Amino acid sequence: MGIIAHLVAKDVRRKARSPLGLIAALAFPLLFAGLIALAFGRGDSIPKVRILVDNEDDGLVASLVASAFTSQQASAYFDAKTVTADEGRKLIDDGKASALLIIPKGFTADVLDKKPVKLSLLRNPAEGILPEIAEQMTGAIVDVLDAARRVFDKPIEELRPLLADDDKAPADADVITISLSVKKAIEGLSGLVNPPAIALESEMFGTAVKKEDKKSNGDTPSAIFLAVLPGVAVYGLFLVADQGMRDVMTERTLGTMRRQLAAPVTANTVILAKAAYTAILAAAALFVMAAVGAAVLTTSVSVAAFLLVAFCLVLAVTGTAAVIYGLAKTERQAATLGNMVFLMMGFLGGGFIRVEGLPAAIRAIAPFTPLYWGTKGFRALLENGAGVAGVLQPALVLLAIGVVLLAAGAAALRRTAKAGAGA
Amino acid sequence: MFQAQNLIKSYGAVRAVDGVSFTVAKGEVYGLLGPNGAGKTTTMSMLSGLLAPDDGRILFDGIDLAAEPIKVKAQLGVVPQEPALYETLSARENLHFWGGLYGLSGAGLNKAVDRVLDLVGLADRAKEPVKQYSGGMKRRINLALGLVHGPRAVLMDEPTVGIDPQARLNILESVKQVAAGGTTVIYTTHYLEEVEQLCDRIAIMDHGKILAEGTLDELKSRMGGRDIVTVRGSFDAAAVRPRLDELAGVQVTAVDEGKLVMTVEGSGRGAVDVLTRVLSGGLAIDGVSIQPPSLNTVFLNLTGRELRD
Repeated sequence: MGIIAHLVAKDVRRKARSPLGLIAALAFPLLFAGLIALAFGRGDSIPKVRILVDNEDDGLVASLVASAFTSQQASAYFDAKTVTADEGRKLIDDGKASALLIIPKGFTADVLDKKPVKLSLLRNPAEGILPEIAEQMTGAIVDVLDAARRVFDKPIEELRPLLADDDKAPADADVITISLSVKKAIEGLSGLVNPPAIALESEMFGTAVKKEDKKSNGDTPSAIFLAVLPGVAVYGLFLVADQGMRDVMTERTLGTMRRQLAAPVTANTVILAKAAYTAILAAAALFVMAAVGAAVLTTSVSVAAFLLVAFCLVLAVTGTAAVIYGLAKTERQAATLGNMVFLMMGFLGGGFIRVEGLPAAIRAIAPFTPLYWGTKGFRALLENGAGVAGVLQPALVLLAIGVVLLAAGAAALRRTAKAGAGA
Repeated sequence: MFQAQNLIKSYGAVRAVDGVSFTVAKGEVYGLLGPNGAGKTTTMSMLSGLLAPDDGRILFDGIDLAAEPIKVKAQLGVVPQEPALYETLSARENLHFWGGLYGLSGAGLNKAVDRVLDLVGLADRAKEPVKQYSGGMKRRINLALGLVHGPRAVLMDEPTVGIDPQARLNILESVKQVAAGGTTVIYTTHYLEEVEQLCDRIAIMDHGKILAEGTLDELKSRMGGRDIVTVRGSFDAAAVRPRLDELAGVQVTAVDEGKLVMTVEGSGRGAVDVLTRVLSGGLAIDGVSIQPPSLNTVFLNLTGRELRD
């Protein structure tokens, strides 16, 4: 144990003399989250998509489409305004809106008459992401309408004459007939529409926004910053672990690994010390990031839950780095492999983009990355105020990943160290 | 103290060390002399426990290195060919680390660090980061790192390669002091003058084998007072050889294209006879060298080439 402490102390001293790489790895999450926040603007909430609606049709279906952007759920993300086409184009020219949706005259009648219909969306080319969101939302509305028209074909047939004659009140028999048709159509779809497919993961995002809204006092950090921080913080932790474990290769190049193995210590001791050093670096980085988080957050976080996630995450990142550096034969190979693995994990595991914003196929892959579980644990802490029980699942998964990868990585690194001895 | 018994080590199809055996007594300075690629570094790696031999064994004071590596390594010091240092740390910090790795601590460690800093003449620069040192200074601290824990035997692998004459002289002086203190030294080099200055006994290595072993005088005496005569020119050396073999006291040791190497009895007189015989054949000769017995002529006689070839 004394020898391991001696080896770790040497590595810590060396890192203290040359801390630039560590500082860069530590600064990355804050810079990244900060830049994202700057790109979206600082504020108490996520910036809304400013969408203009030119409703040239006054029918029922057109009103449904227009009101989709002003519903309670959508209003958290969209700031909708009714305009004429000319007003809308001018506002987009002036950069005051993200997109203009034009609902053409006769839209409702055409939908009910089963004629092909077309909605037009003009996007503001000067904006990047927000018009994309408007397009996605509009596309979703069109899909729903299209599906509804097909599913409710029979009720619509029965409803059509009633909608055409504004003065005529429907008879009780008509209402009963139409209601039964709707009921049958819904029963036929119950397996598909109940429960709703897109509800689960968006709730957390909404919750975070609501929390920020509640305590808004002008000094709170950008919601985007807080939304992105957990993912990039975990990603940054992998970069820190990479720095620690890379030292195995550096020492091999320096010849000091060979010299250590000529001393009365075993290769296992040297590797264990390097893993301990990496874990200490990662833990230190985690606590620095936690300190920054504590400075900008006003919500309280369970210390026990944080420590549990932190411990398991440190094991997981150390194990991941150990496997990467154990597999690589040279420092350059290791750096390339490490960058590839960490970047892939960053994208697939929700490090840069929240998992619920990723395509379904990637969402299915995400749980196979330790980054996903680390991010999940921290998000549960920050956004849901979870205690130990709330973070137990991600913590246990991280622990298992850490133990398995550390065992595999240590065996591979031992081979690397011995190769360095014989060089 | 050190016994290497029939060491064999191969890298793929290449046999780097091929049946090397030697014994080094306590307090002795033993030199392994040979050109690059002779197998010296591989032998040193096996002696220091870094490489396991494919066959053979190494005993240190009767203890098998393979059976008890930690016990043996604790008594050895290693000075690698290239300086292996932590450049961001100072010389003193480097020495503290390596001394601590061998179990030294507290006042004992401080004393040992001061001792080796004095030995290599770097006491006044001990607090500077090693990255600020010149190449020669790095070599000196590299030597000090192998000595800080007061090992009973030191393995030095070409510690003077690529440094200026002043730094080299300093290192050789330090090695002499270490040896004078009773520490066993195994020293590899391809510089003849270093083994002549330092070593009690010398082994000449080439192609993974020990070709000859003994004190400097013993090795020279192997030449039996014979000169080495080398004749170079534009001729078919193989065709000339029979004529030289007829001469008494001449022994041809190497025949290459346009080059003949032979040992010749009778000092200068024998060489003149050789030249007369060669010239009488009307051969075009570019150069002739006559070397009196030395370590270099021993090596030349054993391998047919000089150490610098």
